[in-house]
Amino acid sequence: MGDLVEIENLTVAFRSKRREGLFRSGPSLKALDDVSLTIGENETFGLTGETGSGKSTLAKVLVGLYRPTSGTVRFLGREIDYKSRKDIAYLRQNVGIVFQDPVRSLNPSLTVKDVITEALIAAKSVPKKDYDERINFITKLVGVTKDLLPRRPRELSGGQRQRISLARALVVPKKLLVLDEPTSALDVSIQAQVLNTLKRLKSELNMSYLFITHDINVIKYVSHRLGVLFYGRLVEVGDTRTVDTVPKHPYTQSLISHVLTLKKVGLQETVVSEHRPAPSGCRYRIVCPSAFERCAAVPEWVNLGDGHLVSCFLYDHTSQKESQALLPTPAAMSGDPRAPKEPS
Amino acid sequence: MAVDSSAETDTRQTLAPRIGSELRQATRPEGESGDGRVLEIRDLTIDFASVDGRVRILNGVSMMARKGEVVGIVGESGSGKTTLGLAILGLLDSPPANIVSGSVTFEGRDLLKLRPAEMEMIHGTGINMVFQEPLDSLNPVYTVETQIGEALKVQRKRQDPPVTQATEGETKGLITDLLRNLCIDKPEEVLERYPHELSGGMRQRVAISISTIEKPRLMISDEPTTGLDAYVQNRILGMFSAARKAGETLLYITHDLTIASQICDRIYIMYAGRVMEAGQTRGVLQEPLHPYTSTLVASVPQGYEDAPPLSVQLGEPPDLRNLPGGCKFNPRCPYAKDVCRETEPKLEEVFAGRYAACWRVDKELGRFS
Repeated sequence: MGDLVEIENLTVAFRSKRREGLFRSGPSLKALDDVSLTIGENETFGLTGETGSGKSTLAKVLVGLYRPTSGTVRFLGREIDYKSRKDIAYLRQNVGIVFQDPVRSLNPSLTVKDVITEALIAAKSVPKKDYDERINFITKLVGVTKDLLPRRPRELSGGQRQRISLARALVVPKKLLVLDEPTSALDVSIQAQVLNTLKRLKSELNMSYLFITHDINVIKYVSHRLGVLFYGRLVEVGDTRTVDTVPKHPYTQSLISHVLTLKKVGLQETVVSEHRPAPSGCRYRIVCPSAFERCAAVPEWVNLGDGHLVSCFLYDHTSQKESQALLPTPAAMSGDPRAPKEPS
Repeated sequence: MAVDSSAETDTRQTLAPRIGSELRQATRPEGESGDGRVLEIRDLTIDFASVDGRVRILNGVSMMARKGEVVGIVGESGSGKTTLGLAILGLLDSPPANIVSGSVTFEGRDLLKLRPAEMEMIHGTGINMVFQEPLDSLNPVYTVETQIGEALKVQRKRQDPPVTQATEGETKGLITDLLRNLCIDKPEEVLERYPHELSGGMRQRVAISISTIEKPRLMISDEPTTGLDAYVQNRILGMFSAARKAGETLLYITHDLTIASQICDRIYIMYAGRVMEAGQTRGVLQEPLHPYTSTLVASVPQGYEDAPPLSVQLGEPPDLRNLPGGCKFNPRCPYAKDVCRETEPKLEEVFAGRYAACWRVDKELGRFS
């Protein structure tokens, strides 16, 4: 499996709206902080995390709706320059997106057919005479019947609307489809139908998915590999089965143990308080039950084999001496600007 | 579905006492039926006037809840579960709503016959509801502290004998404690905020704390955790279990079977304004009788990427303006026969404590056939 998308050290920062004075803007907030991941061809990469962990920010960077503050995104080996229109167009040709809210993401004044046709017009690469053929092909594939085409979104059910979003995203073939909480607004039986459709589509159209959801049951069911985000930082990546059965990062462990299933009985007594990210070092260390001194530094990735990576000092068995050398001096930890910068 | 009959009856017999013993720990000891019923709804039928004429939203719904019990109402969009909650509270505007028949008995009184002033006395401390969208149920121009404080005042005023109102400092202390119980860090800061300054999960917890501080005898919660992540979900559910331990009765409306399986003692499965199946949660979810319940159970994703497709039938949620004849589930039902398309089955007791509305459920055998 070659890599379709390579994301390296991606950081996206937003400036806080709260200003600190007339001429001083507020602190910036890192929605994504030094995130690196790859998505292989024909692979479904699942991205999960709590509300506010930066999942949707990553989705929007991949379709060129947000510009990275730093870091690189490579698509099929081509590095995307977010200032170049050409590059953004290239990205959008190859990456489709389906949003969570099927009501707000469809123009209410357009018919279903118009909605899908718009995507064809925007792509510019399809001759007009082929429009009908394309629309027929894709609607059949996603399970939208012909009688829905002249209708408007408000006349349709949530599941039908989400299928139309899918048709719009895929009417021009894409290499990668970003699915940002595609089923969380749907009823359970409709969610199951959409998940089945998504799985079938992927094998028929040969593409990769970036599947984003906070629903662990869903993400387990669809993805080959899983990434866990905590306040903008990726803390664990690996094969879905491995991450689910033997989670290594304390955050992943706690996340997985809180998942409700039909079989599990009895509520997990939650003792964790509100998740507040630490301002420096490992973001999870404030709530982490196994935090120790080393966590004040940013943990390096530890490879546990078979592509299972975890960003946690608990598994960093490089000898203490060696790591001591790598660690920033205590001055740096306390935020002294004169202290030497941490080697990257 | 097709399980050999001897195995089926065996599980039925072994399942019953097991559920019983577990529930006895969770709730109060089982009394005779009819005893300890806080809420009883009988044959509730509600129409809505719409441009397409009258639409029947609820059709002959009956259900009950005992004291200290968590009762789940499970169904998808359009099943009438929210209307049911609003009808209990008397919050349906008429018109468009029209209560055609039925009764809602709460602690011996028929709520549908009460005058608005009497109903008002029940709201809050008698019955309380948490809505799905907390932003709609919080007042945008008051701070969190004012809103929770107001609920506390009402609760104190209505207590018998009346309790003196708390001083400002006391109120603040009570509210911060409450918020801290909901795992809100720095409650003092949250108290001074306005609803729009809070995140979705935080708002929902504030809405819930307003309801719980009034200590209602019956709490109705309509999808309180939809769209929230697993952590917040757990915290909110934990809140409810605490309220139940304090003797509150809870009506939990949801479409999420995994949540229902965690906190509900009994569940009612609704479809197109009707109850399709009802019984002890465990029994209903592990050995569904009605094909619709089986569909719901099969819809919960299980396993990994290489798992087979989820076995759900195609079909859209029911269109209440245009329902099929006979059983309302028949267009999506893989087991539908002629009788299912002609006559609508009634909700009948299949075995003790278990009800289903399906022609293919054999009452003699006590199972789907």
